[in-house]
Amino acid sequence: MPHGSEPRTETAAQTGTEAISKELTIPKLFLQRCREYGKNKVAMREKEFGIWRPFTWEDYYENVKQICLGLVRMGLQREDRVALMGANRPEGLWAEIGSMCAGGVCAWLFQESLHDEVQYIVDHSDAKFFFAETQEEVDKALEIKDGCPKLEMIFWDDPKGMRDYTREDLMSIRRLQELGRELDNEDPDRFERLINQGHGDHVCLQFYTSGTTGRPKGVLLSHWNMLTMGRNLMAVDPCYETDDFVSYLPFAWIGEQMMSISCGLQVGYAINFPEEQDTVMENIREIGPHVMFAPPRLYEGMTRRVQVKYMDAPWIKRKFYEFGTSIGYRMAEHKFQKTTPPWYLKLINGLAYITLQKKLKDHLGMSRLRRCYTGGAALGPDHFRFFHALGVNLKQIFGQTEIAGISIVHRDGDIKFDTVGKPIPETEVDIAEDGEILNRSPSVFLGYYKNEEETEKTKKDGWLYTGDRGFIDEDGHLVVFDRSKDVITLSDGRPFAPQYLETRLKFSPFIQDAWVIGDQRDYLAAVICIDYSVTGKWADEKKINYTSYRELSQKTQVYDLIQKQVERVNKDLPEPARIRKFANLFKVFDADDEELTRTNKLKRPVVAKRYKDLVDAIYSDTDTAHLDLTIAYEDGREQHIKTDLLIRSTEA
Amino acid sequence: MSRVWLPCGHYHQSYAKDQGWWQTPVIKLKMLLLLGIVLLGVPLLLPGYWVGVCTIIGYTAMGALGVQLLIGYTELITLGHGAFIAVGAYTSTMLVLHFPWPEVLVDLGLAYPLSIVVAGLFAGIWSVIFGLPTIRVKGFYFILTTIAAQFITVDLILTQYVSKIGGRAQSIKIPSDAAKIGPWTMSGDVKPYLLMAVLLILMVMVTANLLRTKRGRAWMAIRDNDVAASTMGINVFYHKLLAFFVAGAMAGVAGAFWVSNTSAMSPEHFPWFLSLKLVGVILIGGIGSIHGAILGAAFWVLVGEFLQMGVLPLADYWPNVLMSFTFLKTAFFGLIICAFLNFEPHGLAYRWWQIKNYFNLWPFSY
Repeated sequence: MPHGSEPRTETAAQTGTEAISKELTIPKLFLQRCREYGKNKVAMREKEFGIWRPFTWEDYYENVKQICLGLVRMGLQREDRVALMGANRPEGLWAEIGSMCAGGVCAWLFQESLHDEVQYIVDHSDAKFFFAETQEEVDKALEIKDGCPKLEMIFWDDPKGMRDYTREDLMSIRRLQELGRELDNEDPDRFERLINQGHGDHVCLQFYTSGTTGRPKGVLLSHWNMLTMGRNLMAVDPCYETDDFVSYLPFAWIGEQMMSISCGLQVGYAINFPEEQDTVMENIREIGPHVMFAPPRLYEGMTRRVQVKYMDAPWIKRKFYEFGTSIGYRMAEHKFQKTTPPWYLKLINGLAYITLQKKLKDHLGMSRLRRCYTGGAALGPDHFRFFHALGVNLKQIFGQTEIAGISIVHRDGDIKFDTVGKPIPETEVDIAEDGEILNRSPSVFLGYYKNEEETEKTKKDGWLYTGDRGFIDEDGHLVVFDRSKDVITLSDGRPFAPQYLETRLKFSPFIQDAWVIGDQRDYLAAVICIDYSVTGKWADEKKINYTSYRELSQKTQVYDLIQKQVERVNKDLPEPARIRKFANLFKVFDADDEELTRTNKLKRPVVAKRYKDLVDAIYSDTDTAHLDLTIAYEDGREQHIKTDLLIRSTEA
Repeated sequence: MSRVWLPCGHYHQSYAKDQGWWQTPVIKLKMLLLLGIVLLGVPLLLPGYWVGVCTIIGYTAMGALGVQLLIGYTELITLGHGAFIAVGAYTSTMLVLHFPWPEVLVDLGLAYPLSIVVAGLFAGIWSVIFGLPTIRVKGFYFILTTIAAQFITVDLILTQYVSKIGGRAQSIKIPSDAAKIGPWTMSGDVKPYLLMAVLLILMVMVTANLLRTKRGRAWMAIRDNDVAASTMGINVFYHKLLAFFVAGAMAGVAGAFWVSNTSAMSPEHFPWFLSLKLVGVILIGGIGSIHGAILGAAFWVLVGEFLQMGVLPLADYWPNVLMSFTFLKTAFFGLIICAFLNFEPHGLAYRWWQIKNYFNLWPFSY
């Protein structure tokens, strides 16, 4: 029951690699690709011991087959849940596809999830098997096993530290593959029979949405959901089988599944796994992917790195940088306005390309990038301009787990940094009376697992209620305002998205995170988390002594520095939207403290409750706030903290 | 950013590719250009005198390459490398002049090339003999044995015995048609230059290839810490002797090459100072770098040339200057080495690396 104006629809373009029928499943597509490419094409690479070890489609096929049959031998039935946890690696993908081939449903967990989260998800999903990567994940699984009666077996693939684990319910993935080979010898057609039993409407993946409030919900997605999503995106932005893609974001995030499976299997591009989490940026630079999809924090990190390196560069290099970017910004402005730049600007831009942009893109690993997407949260306009000034085709997307990834995306050459673009084929978008964005497409999810009530609230008549507020502008682009519940009211009564200010603040390399408050107050205020490495380096140069993040954040000079950054943002804003007061927090927001979701989105209700004393102090006449709270460390330890924070007012 | 010199999007799926020499088309183009300059540009464009200077640079570089292998890659400090050049030079001379070659070989112009090979092998074996003490002695004591190699070989054996073969007192005259390769007689400026260029390229290829094999890695492990290397299962003594053999063989080939570029062979061509000079060359060029040996040789020879050009006009006003020039030159080189050790301890190769990095890291500094 759509409200408001006429639904905007784009007809399905028949440009997908092949027609997708309801019969098609991810395993069937996988089988097709393996038959097509066999030994002749690399399906994935993993960086190990200094080289990119290739796996052909035939290797991929063999490994998946063995794992699938091994699971069947261990008693996997159709619709059984399989939980997976670990870094991005070939074994992870094999286990996932292998489970799907046998009709299993995969639920990925974030690698850094703590005990409670793991227990909740494994228990709620009724997982029968658990794929762990290293000893660390095995330990987590063993810890929660008593609380999850349905969990039968735990498999692992990295033997490091596993020598003394002899429990009956543990098995290495090698052993599992041996079992699979035995079954394959007994019944060589079993694997393909299993695959042929699948249907497009069957559930294949179960995602646990981060959820900025409450317990995670299990989103059920079918093969049809995943494949139509991939096809419709590829119809807008085609990829090619010769492309390279780097898979390093958590598989528990829909964006990564969408690129590796929905698009990856349809196109057949090579998926590259980095060596370690710490080497990701270097590995991206080596591979030079053709397409990238990442949340804003990655682009924010890149911008910060460039800004810091720029500050440390010698004079002559800085001048070249300033020249190159200033020309780039002008070219980007022409691109956004859709005007043709004058010939002399093009000429100078050619010069800037040779002297700066080419090299800078090379450092960032963006030389071969055809396009990259940002989504999952808002990316600031400053960051957006920065990448376009480099000539990087960065596009905003709008989407969520419930629609299997992306529903709305910028078209090439039609990019506006304050919108998220137009719907992909077969997707309708509409705005409800209260401003909520509605989506309808074949990729809308089946429902939440064991949660009828929420399903009914979110999915009505095939329309997905996204929970985001927005409107459609004169060019037909969707503008996303913010999560409905996050929108705040300014002193003059206007609604305002705090995210906008936060992303602009984060363009300063000294600021890692920010939280803007002031719903129905006299003025806005910000709680700032400084960037420890950048600000620390700055302090070293200024000969300011500090021993910890907490001490550094409370230095007067650091407050002066942050004040300048805040005032820079204030400069081009109307009076009520200016930040009048700010405080530097003594720590960064952390997912382990439940202040952020696992995809690094701020959980506003949680922080508002935790830092109530600070908010109260900001809106009273004092210049220090007394805090008294408990924080959690990454290893699960907790500490009680009592501290004072300074509050600083900005210049009017 | 260790691999910042490789462009984005360039990756390796095997170790063979990872260890490749010319990994990108741009590098390949640059190296082919360099090859063109060395083999065509220099002989065609430079005046004869300067081609001769380039020949000397190459000759010095060939010697320095062996010293680099010993000092820079295996940390066997040698102050007697000139001895093995001398052994090669005399072996080749004796073979060309006194060996009863079959007529066919002489007519085909194979006598001299064969003598180069034999000279290399013989000098290698000679070098291994003086490397034997490494099983027991280290450090200063070992340096002394290399000095002994110089004096025993050149001052005793060559001066007292070999030079007197045929009743001559000092030098052995080499007829201009003695060094003949195929149809070409090694005379003039260009032909010896080309012979040098080919031999030097071969030597660089051999060295660079050896360094990326198991042997090469063993040498470097010994350089970094020989005790650690032996606990890792490397046969230290064997690999040290192997380094001596390879370095000696390269010195022998360099010496044999000298036959084509001189009209008389004399022990005075191989004084102890030659051995010291080769060490100076790699100090200036940069320890532990192949192109450092070549850069150092070029620097050394060219500085000498320019000094000479600066000094000659002075002779009109100060006649004594030419008399004392040899000493001044030596003193000046001493000064240069001191300056390098002080201001550029990693040598020219390091400076070159820094220049490349400056542009590779553009527009940043790290």
